[in-house]
Amino acid sequence: MNPNVNPAAGAPAGDFEHIQCQWCQSMNAKAATTCRACGAPLDIRNLVSDSGWREAPRLRDMTEFQFNSSTCQVEGEIVPVAEINLGQGDAIFFEHHVMLWKDEGVPLSVLPLSGGLARAFGGMPFVISVASGPGRIAFSRDATGELAVLPLHPGMELDVREHAFLLSSHQITYSFVRVKGLTNILFGGQGMYMDRFVTTGAPGLLILHGYGNVFERVLRPGESIMVEPGAFLYKDSSVTMNVEFQRLGTGLFGGTNMSLARMTGPGRVGIQSMYVHHHTGE
Amino acid sequence: MFCTNCGSQIPESSNFCTGCGTPARRGGSAQPAAPISHPAPQPPAATFLPSVGISADVARTSAYSTSADPAPAPAGSKCTWCGAVLDGRQVSCPQCGATTGIKALTTDSHWSKLPGRKDMAKLQFGKSFCQIEGKYVPVADMNLAAGDSVYFTHHVLLWKDPQINVTTMSLAGAWKRMFAGLPLIMTQASGPGHIAFSHDAPGELIALPLHPGQTVDVREHLFLTATSSVVYDWFQTNVWFTTRNNNETETHYPVGMFMDRFAAPQVPGLLLLHAAGNVFVRELAQGQTILVKPSALIFKDPSVQMHLHLEQPGSFFGGWNSWNNWSNRYMWLRLFGPGRVAVQSVFNPIEGESRSISSYSYATLQRW
Repeated sequence: MNPNVNPAAGAPAGDFEHIQCQWCQSMNAKAATTCRACGAPLDIRNLVSDSGWREAPRLRDMTEFQFNSSTCQVEGEIVPVAEINLGQGDAIFFEHHVMLWKDEGVPLSVLPLSGGLARAFGGMPFVISVASGPGRIAFSRDATGELAVLPLHPGMELDVREHAFLLSSHQITYSFVRVKGLTNILFGGQGMYMDRFVTTGAPGLLILHGYGNVFERVLRPGESIMVEPGAFLYKDSSVTMNVEFQRLGTGLFGGTNMSLARMTGPGRVGIQSMYVHHHTGE
Repeated sequence: MFCTNCGSQIPESSNFCTGCGTPARRGGSAQPAAPISHPAPQPPAATFLPSVGISADVARTSAYSTSADPAPAPAGSKCTWCGAVLDGRQVSCPQCGATTGIKALTTDSHWSKLPGRKDMAKLQFGKSFCQIEGKYVPVADMNLAAGDSVYFTHHVLLWKDPQINVTTMSLAGAWKRMFAGLPLIMTQASGPGHIAFSHDAPGELIALPLHPGQTVDVREHLFLTATSSVVYDWFQTNVWFTTRNNNETETHYPVGMFMDRFAAPQVPGLLLLHAAGNVFVRELAQGQTILVKPSALIFKDPSVQMHLHLEQPGSFFGGWNSWNNWSNRYMWLRLFGPGRVAVQSVFNPIEGESRSISSYSYATLQRW
């Protein structure tokens, strides 16, 4: 399911009491100036380039939005912080190296992962931690960028570049897949994983950190775009991704390969304008 | 009716620009009539601004609310950055994307800030357009018309339409195989279609429209892309010093061994550079000098000469014999007018600066 394909579907006919957020499609009260589910300003026109890329909404500093019984406040603009006030019974999960601070009393546990793939990040074994409410905990990453706040409606499936997700609410099912084609391009033979986030019955909240600026584009069925693999941030699982090589010869010096990922719709594609190669360890 | 932001022609009936989404202004007043725009355009409040910190005035000029837009510069006035003549309707300069109608920000010491640019500002070259998107790591999103082409080093490519063919530039092209002295592969993309470029550091995108006959020298690795009418050349900087460690002599090039030179001999061209941090520009008068950190230099007019400058602060202990054993000294790039120079606020330490210097290219010395 791809709720973004037709953003114009909008509010039910005759219902003028609500406005729909054009970023996450959530319904909001008519007077709202900020989306309650993703924090996107509702009184500001979308920034869409001629080529169809939409800039991720620039969240106002200190914007607050809700998920389940918890709230998230986004602070700062150069390296934004997501500060979570977890409600009783709520939990979020996240990777290493993203926790900025937390209340002492917020318990941490480890998310059991199936698969048993050997995966490491930043010299530490790859472990997903879980923080449970009630209490406060805050997250940020290590470079200038933007938060892409992606509330997932029931029945959505989103693929995310590895180590790009900041946090996810516990209603979302997490798994990861090894991407074969990208192996040599991104990490010099160390393989690339892609995180997969799936919602079934209940909605959930997923927050990513994109380096530089984040842009999103909705591809029509069969439409494709060539993206620098390092710029890929997320996609609906309905979008296929295939790496294509192009030989750039120079005659004398032998030349080199240029590799680009061909993303083919239907669905959303998110990219970041700066890319950082993590040292994935091992 | 024309869009006040990007200059696109839009149907009289539309409320928003079909090109960039800016609310259409009729008779000078904004009329937000789209179903979602319930609140009236709000005055720009501090919390409202997408202030990105790295460029406060850019943020200020890019407030989305139309009421915060400056009035376009009057007809016949010139863009403060590139000198393009404006027609009085453009909020952004059609040639470099700079926001018009605002005063250039110049420090007391005569450094001018790169003029602000509205997010999604659009500039034109030939029959093609370039839209500049994003504030932290800006993207140059090119809409190439048939027959127009740009060249770039291929690691700056962000995305492209599948039908755009990227080829190695032919030797007949306006560049040398050796990019900054290295056998770097220069690639070329030809229209029609969309292609976008970005660098991998937070900073500013500099649009330099080159007038016929204009030439600019650019420090290596700052080049993003240029139209195929821009001729590329390089030269040796001849700015170096050597350090000795036992029997090993190492040569260092504080501004790089080579410098790129871009020129538009007959027809105008567009050159895009990416600088880290903020960008400041200054015009040096004949004979005027300024000392800058070597790796802060972005570009200069060819008329500006440069060489090393070594400076040692005064000391109670040091005498003449301490000259070669620098434990406390500064190494500068001395720029000598006339001409324009540009620096960036992010720079790297000079490699080898603190070691024992055995020889150096022409330099002026200052001992206090």
